[in-house]
Amino acid sequence: MSKNTVSARFRRVDVDEYDENKFVDEEDGGENQLGPDEAEVDSLVRQGNLMEALHAVLKNPPINTKNQNVKDRAEGLVLKVLSAFKSSDIEKGVQSLDKNGVDLLMKYIYKGFERPSENSSAVLLQWHEKALAAGGVGSIVRVLTARKTV
Amino acid sequence: MCNASNCKAFFLFFCFCIFSDRGSSAAFSLDLCRLALGNICRRGKKTDMDTAFKSTRCNLLQLACRCPLSKERLRSCKTDEMRVYRSSKELLLQPVVISRNDKEKVFIEGSINSVRVSIAVKQADEIEKILCHKFMRFMMMRAENFFILRRKPVEGYDISFLITNFHTEQMYKHKLVDFVIHFMEEIDKEISEMKLSVNARARIVAEEFLKNF
Repeated sequence: MSKNTVSARFRRVDVDEYDENKFVDEEDGGENQLGPDEAEVDSLVRQGNLMEALHAVLKNPPINTKNQNVKDRAEGLVLKVLSAFKSSDIEKGVQSLDKNGVDLLMKYIYKGFERPSENSSAVLLQWHEKALAAGGVGSIVRVLTARKTV
Repeated sequence: MCNASNCKAFFLFFCFCIFSDRGSSAAFSLDLCRLALGNICRRGKKTDMDTAFKSTRCNLLQLACRCPLSKERLRSCKTDEMRVYRSSKELLLQPVVISRNDKEKVFIEGSINSVRVSIAVKQADEIEKILCHKFMRFMMMRAENFFILRRKPVEGYDISFLITNFHTEQMYKHKLVDFVIHFMEEIDKEISEMKLSVNARARIVAEEFLKNF
């Protein structure tokens, strides 16, 4: 057979790249998001001011950043604060959050379930129950359908 | 960058958020009532796991079956999107784990037309491991008659259910949810019962055998 003299490079083109209906995730510039401030949160926890610590740790969530370390650190901090709460105070803590706060809390709770350590799941289950009572089933749906996780 | 499908996806999720928040559908409020009642009647950590599980499951089923975006894709989807090797990101939901400790957990992955639920059963010692494995194998070999069961469990878990929109069209959604939760509750009891009977039989056999000496 004679060799094809015309270029066959068109065969290597990835056609799916040029599909106009192709779904591309929004890439926000998340480089400056650092997650909650460790020093501030630690000091608040040591002082025993757990409500403030909860609010502080839910500020600045590392949602857009691609850096896995930032996300892990934030997750660890949140877990520390959540475990520091007494069972009776959990409800008050959840009530003090606004709707976005409850959604963010749910995201962190589900993230925390993925890596269970000795007592974390029990604490997280209690928080989950209270957060569900406050946020309703909608908050869970928003966790499931979020394109960017914490 | 905001292209057409991006807008569609966001609009869809936005609608769902509004819809779920108002709880306007009777099914939702019914499920919430059951959740509340379940909390009062039962006690202990199991309740939390079940309510957490139940709530996510109800959501998933509602989602999987009422997706306006999906109508155009469902008809062109012959297989459920779980298995289509994550080809389109907009069709998948965030996978979610609910764990009681690091040995017992439930992994829920959703997509627009199906839900995959994987369960890791508590196995405290060797004999429970063997019993669990055999029990699951027994069921998974008969997965065709089971409909919603998967023939192979997901990596790291013991058994997996795959519930598609076809199943929810033929069967009641709330019954499916009830079934899965019931399954989770019963599996621990069954395995303990089997272990007890194995031990009892072993003791009788050993007694009989050693009577000869």
